[in-house]
Amino acid sequence: MPSWSDGWRRVLAAPAIIAGVYLVTLLAALPLAVSLRGALQNHLGASLMAGEAADAVNYDWWQEFASQSTGLGSTFTPSIIGFATTLDSVSGLLDRRVLITPIAWALGIYVAAWIFLSGGILDRYARGRRVGAHGFFAASGTFFFRFLRLGIAAGIMYWFLFVYMHEWLFAKWYVNVTRDLAVERTAFYWRLLMYAIFGGLLALTTTIFDYAKVRAVVEDRRSMMWALVAALRFLVRNPLRVAALYAANAATFLVAVAVWALIAPGAGGAGLSMWGAVVATQCYVLARLLVKLQFLASETALFQRSLAHVGYAAAPAFARPQPPIIESIFDRSA
Amino acid sequence: MRVWRAALIVATGIAAAACGGAPIPVPPQATGEPLPFSFADSCSDYGVLDGPAARSPRNANYQIDVRLEPADRSLHGRERIRWRNITAHPTNELQFHLYWNAWRNADSTWLRERRLGGNTNTPRSDAWGWTDVRALRVARGGVAGRVDDLTSRIHFIAPDDGNTADRTVIAVPLPAAVAPNETIEIDLEWSAKIPRPFSRTGYIADYYFFGQWFPKLGVLEDAGWNTHQFHSGTEFYSDYGTYDVRMTVPRGFVVGASGGEFNIENNANGTTVHRFTGEDIHDFAWTASPHFLERTQTFEHPSLPKVKMRLLLQPEHVGQEARHFAATAAALKYYGEWFGAYPYRCITIVDPAFQSASGGMEYPTLFTAGTRWLAPTGVTVPEAVTVHEAGHQFWYGVVGSNEFEHAWMDEGINEFSEVRVNEAAFTPNYVVRRYFGGFIPWVFRDIRVTRQIDEGLANYTLQAESDAEATPSFRYWPSTGVNITYYKTALWLHTLERLLGWPTLQRSMSTYFDRWKFRHPQPSDFFQAVSEGAGRDMTPFFDEVYRSSNTFDYGVQELASAGAGKDRFRTTVVARRFGEATFPVDVVTTFEDGSQKTEHWNGIDRRVIYVYDGTSRARSVQVDPQRILLLDVNYTNNSRTLEPRASQATLKWSLKWMVWLQDALLTYAFLV
Repeated sequence: MPSWSDGWRRVLAAPAIIAGVYLVTLLAALPLAVSLRGALQNHLGASLMAGEAADAVNYDWWQEFASQSTGLGSTFTPSIIGFATTLDSVSGLLDRRVLITPIAWALGIYVAAWIFLSGGILDRYARGRRVGAHGFFAASGTFFFRFLRLGIAAGIMYWFLFVYMHEWLFAKWYVNVTRDLAVERTAFYWRLLMYAIFGGLLALTTTIFDYAKVRAVVEDRRSMMWALVAALRFLVRNPLRVAALYAANAATFLVAVAVWALIAPGAGGAGLSMWGAVVATQCYVLARLLVKLQFLASETALFQRSLAHVGYAAAPAFARPQPPIIESIFDRSA
Repeated sequence: MRVWRAALIVATGIAAAACGGAPIPVPPQATGEPLPFSFADSCSDYGVLDGPAARSPRNANYQIDVRLEPADRSLHGRERIRWRNITAHPTNELQFHLYWNAWRNADSTWLRERRLGGNTNTPRSDAWGWTDVRALRVARGGVAGRVDDLTSRIHFIAPDDGNTADRTVIAVPLPAAVAPNETIEIDLEWSAKIPRPFSRTGYIADYYFFGQWFPKLGVLEDAGWNTHQFHSGTEFYSDYGTYDVRMTVPRGFVVGASGGEFNIENNANGTTVHRFTGEDIHDFAWTASPHFLERTQTFEHPSLPKVKMRLLLQPEHVGQEARHFAATAAALKYYGEWFGAYPYRCITIVDPAFQSASGGMEYPTLFTAGTRWLAPTGVTVPEAVTVHEAGHQFWYGVVGSNEFEHAWMDEGINEFSEVRVNEAAFTPNYVVRRYFGGFIPWVFRDIRVTRQIDEGLANYTLQAESDAEATPSFRYWPSTGVNITYYKTALWLHTLERLLGWPTLQRSMSTYFDRWKFRHPQPSDFFQAVSEGAGRDMTPFFDEVYRSSNTFDYGVQELASAGAGKDRFRTTVVARRFGEATFPVDVVTTFEDGSQKTEHWNGIDRRVIYVYDGTSRARSVQVDPQRILLLDVNYTNNSRTLEPRASQATLKWSLKWMVWLQDALLTYAFLV
């Protein structure tokens, strides 16, 4: 638990990172939201149907729009309301739902942004002190291509999990084991088992690659292959501590989701209530981001706590170089 | 409950009648000796076979003795059919359905059509099913008369598509023609391999559901035999009669079947014979499972007959007992009040086993409902399907339309009726979506299901032009036929309700029900009843909705309101017919001072222009503001306002969608 609380301390001590990743999450979604709004606007035009759609839900119009839409419009379903957003996204991931092209692109860009930012974020959390924008982006740039290589390895692993393991678990094992079941509850328990196995494999993979990134940053590793090996070695040597930390972070995630399930706003109306709902939903997005950052920060803390000299990886404080004009004056005077 | 009942039977040695009444002597076995058909108590209140009180022609009467062999998943049966030619013409052949042969090979018409509909899964080796007729004999002139063994004359025919690989219809030439009003007796012996679930029949674990399970006669009409092959998108058609069926199953199985339970006998070999009888019904289905929980309730109503409701419930749905009974009772009540009384004394509700694919299907006096383990309140699962299938007792069971050719006459009319009951009895009804493999439901209490939504408006608009409804149903495109059969019909009936008023439509439908109960109506019979009820010829309406696949789409092309002198405004409205189908609609213009101008447009021209000069500027215009025409495929364009709120609406909804996308991005980004 010290690593867990240390992680939170590091996350909260770097508000610029929180703001930055929130901004990235907003910007990744905003263009498509604007595009969808255009499609909705085109369909509604000056129709009176807009009144009910603005004040509450006009499901007649909604279905009419959906039946005439392709692309982004096809994702405009009731799942966008309240807590269903989370059910839909988690269910979509675990059930391997195919993403439509524009959303797959948005996701690709978002993932690329995270790969880029991860170096800077981990560097900041590892140092435990301000590094400034220059230091942050310098570290991001330094580690981007290393993490890209690591990302390729992770991609191969996820490809295996989603293409082969998921197929084997859900389309073969689950289907075979439930084929003769006449009781839905039993089938549901089997499905839960499949989710647990698949989710466990995803969690394990994520953890391995997270620690590889942590080790790459903390120990300034160039070889991502060896970073991966080192991460595995760390996991093998500290299985309980890693698992306990993961469980604590996962529990934090579940608490955030549970709170969201209780307070998630419904369809609501336009005007002030709409903006209230926007604030509430963005708080939830922020909470999800905090939990994600907490995973990284706490894993960094755990790894650093396991080192012989906790502080040895901390590089000297970054000193911004003097502007050239000042340097030339100093050179001349020297 | 089941154990108690079986013990009582064994202890007393008295046969029990499921629907109540006095003990009845055990009848002789169906070993070829004709049963007396003198049972005085079954699921029907009236008369004996061929008696004056018979409600139906009773020209196809079945005695069946069938044995279930769970070890090899097979049925072995023998049946005697007493069939009377009720047409005006003699026939020199017989035709039978062997429905289970639809799953005998991959080239059956049923499986071909299923592939056309998008399901390309090849059944696994243990999934197939079939029926083999081992013997067929025809007796003429009573027991002492002539008996012809016609087994060798049996041959397969494919009257619909000529598919030689299809084995779902057999024909048997007769040595001599059966004259009008002549009765013959047909003895068949057959065996069947029970399929894994296909089309609401088959087995899963030790749950069995048997629909279309025995060789069944086609319907002889004046135009000849009406014996269609089994199609993936349509159902069945057969004559009314009496059924006396003995089912031998392993002891401990609970059996539900059409009709009423006549008696139960335990055999020494560990099996039990359940005998069910039914009168004035045109099919017989049954189910067997050792796990059913049996529950009963009585439907009572001040002006309708009592009905004993027997529910065979899956143990995992034990908490949903009341919901099943309430839905069945709602159907009996509202259908009874609106169309006519349920004419049988009992009804059996079967809660199907998970993955049995037998849910949501109707058979005379028995139907399968369908629910989920997690079935939240506020959502009409299991209510909607229960009302629907209970409703089929009226539109299918009592009014015996041809489901092969005019599926809308039972499914469409029943869809309309069901949704009307849902609205009357089960509101509010909310939208639900299911996640995590369909196991976890989430109810959207912001979104109420309205009648037009429940009637499948969105589904219809997707494929509104796929087929003209007048096309024989078995020829509909397999993947879209349901939208025409169910939803288009429900929507045009609802349109009629809004056009004529419910009292008029209800009167028409009850007239049609009363006129055609226990008979086989044609589409024209329904149209005639509606025209009579409306007091005018409704042919133009049916030409559009039934005989054509054209779509309705009325809208506003233009609305302008500009100053025309001091304190004067000129308002121009252009209403437009975008679709090919026509319907009279109102065009209502609303002005800023609250006044309205209503125009009645016959809807025939492509457009109509209205110009108003007045002291107030227009605010909005609506075409068909009461939304009488529910078949309009684009209602959003039916209105236009000069004070649009689309900006507010789209901002709200696009922000909600953005959160959904942010959530999805965050979830997937968990992996990096």
